[in-house]
Amino acid sequence: MLRMSALRLIAAAVVAAVPAACSGDGTADNAATNPASEVPPVIKERQENFKAIGAAFKSVRGELESDAPDFALIAAKAGDINARAQQIPNDFPALTGIDEGYDTEALAAIWEKPEEFKAAAAKLADESAKLATIAGEGSKDAVAAQAMAIGGACKGCHDQFRLDDEKK
Amino acid sequence: MSEGPLPRAAIPPDISVWDPLLRLTHWSFPLLIPAMWWTAETGKWGLHKRLGLVLLGLLVFRIVWGFAGPQTVRFGQFVKGPRAVRAYLRGDTGEGARTIGHSPLGGWSTVVLLGAMLLQASLGLFAGDPFDGTTGPLNGLVGTRLADAITDLHEAFFWAIAGLVALHLAAITFYAAKGDDLLSPMVGGSIPPVAGVAGIGAVPWAKGVIAAALAAGLALWLAYGAPPLT
Repeated sequence: MLRMSALRLIAAAVVAAVPAACSGDGTADNAATNPASEVPPVIKERQENFKAIGAAFKSVRGELESDAPDFALIAAKAGDINARAQQIPNDFPALTGIDEGYDTEALAAIWEKPEEFKAAAAKLADESAKLATIAGEGSKDAVAAQAMAIGGACKGCHDQFRLDDEKK
Repeated sequence: MSEGPLPRAAIPPDISVWDPLLRLTHWSFPLLIPAMWWTAETGKWGLHKRLGLVLLGLLVFRIVWGFAGPQTVRFGQFVKGPRAVRAYLRGDTGEGARTIGHSPLGGWSTVVLLGAMLLQASLGLFAGDPFDGTTGPLNGLVGTRLADAITDLHEAFFWAIAGLVALHLAAITFYAAKGDDLLSPMVGGSIPPVAGVAGIGAVPWAKGVIAAALAAGLALWLAYGAPPLT
């Protein structure tokens, strides 16, 4: 009967653990990894900024999948990306990187090579400004080519300054 | 008169119900499902992708095993029509003979659980955004909009899986309260002897190796983005 009760215990533990595990909140990890200080709010702000850039760029690529893309929408999204790209250099004050123990993918390279990081952000601003202009001209091929240039700006910066989440 | 020990009455052996490969596959699910949830919550996408491919491989193995494995794991044995399910729900067990393996209702719960996990793992193959970190290995085969919709569905469908797992645990608890212990045979593989009931017999290990190789091969092929084989 000992075997039986042990199994009951395991079953009870599993039943108890599932809701407990599901009630966890990912954001609580910040405090866990860096308990000594408050998490700087700028980390969340810049993550929201990048999420919005990603969403806007996804809308642009989505539009380009239709036969008659909405060029006005693409131009508006490009303008949004442009404004947000200009915000990037202001969003990385010192001591807010992954090396400080925060839940972030911001690599130390951002602060080790500040000029290159600024240039990478400026590249996204430039390419998105170009996209806004080109979208006004209404050529799908030209817009698609410029959208890929934006993708290159994303990737170029991520390769150097963002933790590759494939390795996490 | 000799004082030798009395001949012992033969103790009938336990009845084997679930083979070791079936049990190994089964218990990998309660390890992998929480791990999939946790790696997604914490953004450990590289690990999420690898574990997802392992989970998909195990599901494929389970499906192949459902055609090649012992009697109790075969779909042909445990997937019953609505009449059998209704009879089971009425408590009418037919000839009254005790059988091993899934009940007609349990068989359908198995199909639904496996189907839901297979759908979830398959959606994950296409999920993600190539400009924003890790993607499923087949993400490049679909367009931006479709990948985006699949990603949202993959995220939402976790709650369907969680609901089915909760139902599964509730059902096991319900049967345990009725005195029907489903957990022990899934752990140890067998039930105490019952007159007139035979177990599953020898495990077809060679078929098991072939099924595992097929599943691993398919998972590996998917991991590399399903390249053409010729």
